[in-house]
Amino acid sequence: MNPNNAFLLAVGLPVFASPVIYLIGRIATRKNPKVDLARWLALLTLLADGYFLLIAGMEFIQTRHELLIAVGAVSLRLDGIALLLAAVVLALGTLVTLFSGPAVARDSGRETYFALLTAMIGTIIGLGAADDLFNLWVWFEAMALCSYVLVAFYRNEAAALEAGVKYLVQSALGTVLVLLAIGLVFANTGSVDLDEIRIAAQPSGLMLAAGALFIIGFGVKAALVPLHTWLPDAHSQAPSGISAMLSGVVIEAGLVAMLRALGALHLVTVSWGALLLGFAAVNMLVGNLMALRQTQVKRLLAYSSLSHMGYILLGVGAGAVIGSEYSAAGGFFHILTHAMMKGLAFLAAGALLYSLHQAVGNHDPLVVDDLNGASRKYPLTAFAFSVAVLGLGGLPPLAGFMSKWQIFVGGFQTGSAWIMALVVFAALNSVLSLGYYAPLVNRLYRCQPVRIVEQGKPIPVLMSLPMLILSLGVVVLGIWPSLADWLTGPAAQSLLMLFGG
Amino acid sequence: MTISIPTTVIIMVLGLIGIGIYALLTTRHLLKVIVALQLLVKGAMLALVLAGRLTGQEDLGQSLAITVIIADTIVAVIGMALAVQVRRVIGTLDLRSLTSLRR
Repeated sequence: MNPNNAFLLAVGLPVFASPVIYLIGRIATRKNPKVDLARWLALLTLLADGYFLLIAGMEFIQTRHELLIAVGAVSLRLDGIALLLAAVVLALGTLVTLFSGPAVARDSGRETYFALLTAMIGTIIGLGAADDLFNLWVWFEAMALCSYVLVAFYRNEAAALEAGVKYLVQSALGTVLVLLAIGLVFANTGSVDLDEIRIAAQPSGLMLAAGALFIIGFGVKAALVPLHTWLPDAHSQAPSGISAMLSGVVIEAGLVAMLRALGALHLVTVSWGALLLGFAAVNMLVGNLMALRQTQVKRLLAYSSLSHMGYILLGVGAGAVIGSEYSAAGGFFHILTHAMMKGLAFLAAGALLYSLHQAVGNHDPLVVDDLNGASRKYPLTAFAFSVAVLGLGGLPPLAGFMSKWQIFVGGFQTGSAWIMALVVFAALNSVLSLGYYAPLVNRLYRCQPVRIVEQGKPIPVLMSLPMLILSLGVVVLGIWPSLADWLTGPAAQSLLMLFGG
Repeated sequence: MTISIPTTVIIMVLGLIGIGIYALLTTRHLLKVIVALQLLVKGAMLALVLAGRLTGQEDLGQSLAITVIIADTIVAVIGMALAVQVRRVIGTLDLRSLTSLRR
């Protein structure tokens, strides 16, 4: 198959399959409420999509020629960053679909869930590959629309609605600001094509304003502190599979969109990268300090996403400022490992939430006390959760250690005093983060089981399987981190081309 | 003294954005917040059309604006659907009562 067509299919298939999944799932459920076709259709779509992405990705990896595709007004470019984002979102999305089957089985509207999840995966693949500013905005908005509905999926719960409203209002304001920035850039350069803007964008006050609007607008989605206030609510109230997607890829997709837009304005000022480094420091500190005082497990994990966004920004920012390819590759490697670890952490927390609360029909949040002694009854889930949080804390030999290590080494290699200071700060933050990760593991293994754990329901096999795969991935990538080089290397080169010219 | 058309449109854009942001900052009613967001988007839309006009690419500017109309309508619909659900479950549309998650 022609790789260009394969990539077009990889972007289009989930988006166009989404309404079909909804309709067929709805009809099947109406005829027989026990039948749940939507999830299997979604899984099939994603597996087929993975095949198409593999064809297109292999072509790019082997020839290192960017694939340029234009259909009507839609123009796509498969480069390293697009491939990395697409691979991460598709892999995590497939596992989440598998996991979500039992998790939402008793909720009404599960066809909506799977249809929107599939559509969201397609729009993120498109977002990563968008080749002009307006395409970027449309994919970004489409991704946001899917996620608004998914966050408020438990639509009869006051807390989920509150989180959905906060998310929608803040996010919608962000997209308006991006739109204004596009208007400014368009008026100044006469184009919305990223390549033409790269050449035409010259330093001026209006272009600086446009860049600032891009940072604020995309920064809401990417959860840059202080634009993060929606994140802990949305990530903790969404269904667990969606929390995994939001933390694992959606905020990173916001960052990728921001990098594309700022990369096109790289002639305007050299300080975009430095700004990213500034946000890196604030994100790490605020995320960790807020996570330390949380009592709900999913809320704690949501705040820890903020600090991990900081590490990613540190790697990517050092790549953009100094042009350090190793550092940028570390940042992208951390996007990959964070998606795996945070995805795993949310899935494991979701499995416990399901078996302890949802399966007995209550919508209480999972608090840290519920973890006490859970390893006796749920050994696999407890193990998966421990692997995830210890990896997030950066203990060797887990994947999180390797990606942080690469970011730190890359930062030191730049030789810049500021970046070295930032690396030391990040390392200290990593130690600080163990202050909330380690007690969770302690509770799982060294406490007496609480009553709620003893009365818990069993965890279905389909929920355990994705956790097993992700745990294995976290351990394997921790031992052989070079396994991901084929994905992170080209992404880093693409980033340097964005900011280096 | 005559005011040119672009100047008028720029004033309108700034006015819409100003009113939108002011409304967003002052109102605490969910439906009014959605209306404020709509005002902001309308301002941005007008800015896109104006940008197309100024750079001599009216077709591009207008097609961008039409796409924005579609996307923005969906946001409004989802926002209002959420508002209906908020009213049913929580019993009020006042955002000040939506603070159970703050800690």
